[in-house]
Amino acid sequence: MRKTTIVPAVIATFVFSFGFVLSMAGSASAESAADNYNLFCVQCHGTKGTGKGVNAPALAVAPRNHTSAKDMSALKDADVFKAIKEGGVAVGKSTQMPSFASNMTDAEITEMVKHLRGMCKCEGKK
Amino acid sequence: MKRLIVLSCLLAFTMAFTGQALADGKALVDSNKCGDCHQMAGPAAATIADVMKRKAPDLFYAGSKFNKEWLVGYIQNPTQLRPAGTVYRNNIKTEGDKDIVGDLPKCASKLSAGDAAAVADYLMTLTDASMAAGVFKQDKFKKARAKILMKKKEACDACHMFPGKKGKPGKGGVSCPTFAGIGARLNPDWMYSFIKHPQHWDPKVWMAKREFTDAQLQLMVNFLSSMK
Ligand code: HEC
Ligand code: HEC
Ligand code: HEC
Repeated sequence: MRKTTIVPAVIATFVFSFGFVLSMAGSASAESAADNYNLFCVQCHGTKGTGKGVNAPALAVAPRNHTSAKDMSALKDADVFKAIKEGGVAVGKSTQMPSFASNMTDAEITEMVKHLRGMCKCEGKK
Repeated sequence: MKRLIVLSCLLAFTMAFTGQALADGKALVDSNKCGDCHQMAGPAAATIADVMKRKAPDLFYAGSKFNKEWLVGYIQNPTQLRPAGTVYRNNIKTEGDKDIVGDLPKCASKLSAGDAAAVADYLMTLTDASMAAGVFKQDKFKKARAKILMKKKEACDACHMFPGKKGKPGKGGVSCPTFAGIGARLNPDWMYSFIKHPQHWDPKVWMAKREFTDAQLQLMVNFLSSMK
């Protein structure tokens, strides 16, 4: 009798704390794509995402207009991911598009690609 | 024996005296409410939501970051160092579809020369013990090579303003501190550490960590240190 109540209790405690640890790990690091865009991208791509950020006048190459379905649908999702993670140079574009590997996790960059697809209301080139 | 007593008295006196100056400096920081805007104790904001609430740069590692002489001057008569303010995102407005910089909050410090010296003494005790000292090697360097690395290759000027010639406004981005005067302002060992790993100092800073060799870091910090 005693054994049968202790065992489920131990299992329940274990499952509960495991779930707790997992949810902690998630909430401690992941920022929403909207927040990441706001802090990291707006400085060049602008509050509206059209490429007219406060740094834009200093740039030799215009930052991509993220709201342009025409421009953004010409890019594959994998290349957009690569441009954000490794920087413009990694996809044959300007060095003025920095790498964000140290600012966002891979999971956050994946969410960012989806966020950009929402901004252009377009799909990536297949 | 007598000598020893005199010596130890002197020592105790100077210790008490410097201790007093530091206590004064801290009291002045409190009474002038520097902590209303500046974070005076770590750790740095670790979420974007907290970064957005930042009103002024963190000062809890001021002793690692600044040159003391510059600090004494600045807190008597502060100037604008960040062309779009502390967190640029909080200070921009949109005209049409173009972002422009709006009104900027200023540093409220207006200390007398004496108080500034006491506050600077105290701020210089706020250090990050994990920062390696004596890493930077001042040396002759080729400005042209530094420019190729920092402008052409790494586009530091996409975000940072470079100093202009002879008082003329420089060129570059506005979302972070200007490089004009940075050599007088910052400890070169700190610049080395910050460029090597910006997220160590500010986990959500909107500058990327890049992989640099020691030679590249030395070249850049030598160039920055020359911008007095
Ligand atoms: C320092 C300025 C700057 C910042 C900050 C910046 N970008 Fe860019 N970005 C650029 C420039 C300039 C280009 C255009 C590059 C070109 O066309 O050669 C660009 C291009 C891009 C492209 C198109 C790449 C391609 O293959 O054509 C994407 C996608 C992009 N940026 C996403 C982002 C995201 C997401 C962020 C924030 C996490 C961001 N950028 C932050 C300057 C910046
Ligand atoms: C009302 C808010 C406010 C108060 C109060 C204030 N400051 Fe500031 N301080 C700022 C802002 C904003 C900046 C950023 C200025 C810039 O970068 O252009 C700043 C910048 C500084 C800097 C340069 C920091 C850096 O990283 O570049 C120092 C040093 C400083 N303040 C010291 C002080 C001291 C000491 C006091 C108290 C005697 C004080 N401040 C009180 C708002 C404040
Ligand atoms: C995407 C924008 C961006 C780019 C590109 C960039 N930085 Fe930064 N940098 C920042 C931000 C943001 C800070 C921290 C701002 C603060 O403390 O208020 C910073 C701070 C610094 C500081 C400390 C400055 C100070 O005055 O406190 C140095 C030094 C520096 N960067 C060097 C560089 C170098 C060298 C490069 C090129 C290899 C570079 N940065 C590229 C955004 C950028």
